[in-house]
Amino acid sequence: MNEAILVPIEMAVTWRYASGAAMERFCSGLMERRIEALRCGVCRRSYLPPRPICGNCHAPLSEWVSVADEGRLEAWTVLQVPMLDARTGDMREAPYGMGLIQLDGADTTINHYLAESDPARLSIGLRVRAVWRPEPRGAMDDIVHFEVLR
Amino acid sequence: MRRVAIIGTGQTDYASNRSDASQPELVREAAKAAIADAGLRPQQIDAMLISNMELFEGRALPELWLGEAAFAAGKPCLKVATGGTSGTSACIAGFHQVASGLFDVVLVVGLEKHSEGQTQTGMALTDPFWDRAVAAGALGNFALSISQYMAARGVTERQAAMVAVKARRNAARNPHAHLKMPALTVDEVLGSRPLAHPVRLLDMCPQSDGACAIVIAAEEPARRLCPRPAWIKASATRHEQPYIGDIDRRLVTMRTLRDAARNAYARAGIRDPLHDFDVAEIYEPVSYAELAWYEALGFCGDGEAGRLIEDGVTTMDGELPVNPSGGVLSSNPVGASGVIRVAEAALQIHGRGGERQVDGVRTALATGYGVYAWADVVVLGAQP
Repeated sequence: MNEAILVPIEMAVTWRYASGAAMERFCSGLMERRIEALRCGVCRRSYLPPRPICGNCHAPLSEWVSVADEGRLEAWTVLQVPMLDARTGDMREAPYGMGLIQLDGADTTINHYLAESDPARLSIGLRVRAVWRPEPRGAMDDIVHFEVLR
Repeated sequence: MRRVAIIGTGQTDYASNRSDASQPELVREAAKAAIADAGLRPQQIDAMLISNMELFEGRALPELWLGEAAFAAGKPCLKVATGGTSGTSACIAGFHQVASGLFDVVLVVGLEKHSEGQTQTGMALTDPFWDRAVAAGALGNFALSISQYMAARGVTERQAAMVAVKARRNAARNPHAHLKMPALTVDEVLGSRPLAHPVRLLDMCPQSDGACAIVIAAEEPARRLCPRPAWIKASATRHEQPYIGDIDRRLVTMRTLRDAARNAYARAGIRDPLHDFDVAEIYEPVSYAELAWYEALGFCGDGEAGRLIEDGVTTMDGELPVNPSGGVLSSNPVGASGVIRVAEAALQIHGRGGERQVDGVRTALATGYGVYAWADVVVLGAQP
């Protein structure tokens, strides 16, 4: 049995990505706590994240619709082991709740954190509302998590 | 299109840490075994296809570092990447290369060496504008889907645990398998560490090191070299929209897998999958997924998957043994896992399954699952 040889590589690197026009408008809206989706004129589906073309109809999307920062919990879980936070590179301590949320006015769901982490207090169909960062920066994590409305 | 068959398979042993071998050495081990199994020498292979998740091991160009080990120097060599389906997609690409007449003999090799990488980091490097802020990795995303699937179909944690037990007990008869647990019980699965409600440690696939290879041949060399070629009756692949939230109740609907199965079954003459297939090797990264795939693949009606596992229909002595190898739940080197499904299905037709051989296999199914956004279906037969 060979000993594994460790090759220690640590790098501090930065990437820059172009957002495209639809995502730029969406992110600008977040800075004013505004959520906007793009609706397909053919199938009438409202997309979050907004994108220039409907994947199913291949039709260009140009009709912006306002979406509430409240919606319905469509799926949920509670993470019971720490997981990597891809924005910071740090581990996110468990337990924490996650959900797929259908915001009022959107037809797709968004995945996001939940303020609730007790499985006994979560169920599909609960109403949830976004809790915003005090000073939004124009990114999805301007929403800290969703709280359950009881 | 020309007739195509799988005439050789080769697998390394799968384990949590194969520090006895480098990545190219694992590829070489599987490639050499498959080529020998086909009764060929490396010089007789026309082209190579490689499957690997490069970000998991954190190095670019795996097809460069691994190609020579697959005997590809001086030959056509390329990598196929479709997430977890990469292995099945590479096999299907190889079928097409031979069916089209481009090549007569093609080698497919899949590799993953999770022990040398940062799998969670690799998984997290998704769309920087949308998913990364809330990335939960494969585990959290599966758990979200499972909550919807349980609500829609009424499957229970106990029924999922029965899938986990079946897999690890089957694995005990597979010399290559990573998690061999011949005495595992449902209560032990239900008592294992919670990971993401309702998924427990023993509901999930492991992260494995290992490689798997197959040799694909046109009709003439297949008949000359192999006593029982595993003929490709049909194969189909489907892609989805990019974001989790685009897809309506994913495990419930599984448009990709249902469409791919419908398409492949029609071309292969499969009308009643539960009776027409003699064995299936399906890509089940979590216990609950296998139940969802029973429905999507037409083994039973929607809402009947729990009954299927309770009745033992998919155990080794049931009507349709599913995953005699132990499946992804028992061995999961991701880039190789799809190749393993195809290799194990072919092995059953070759009649070389050893202790995990199902008697009299003439028609076999293999599937692949990639994130929630790809599905592959392969139907193999003892007759072309």
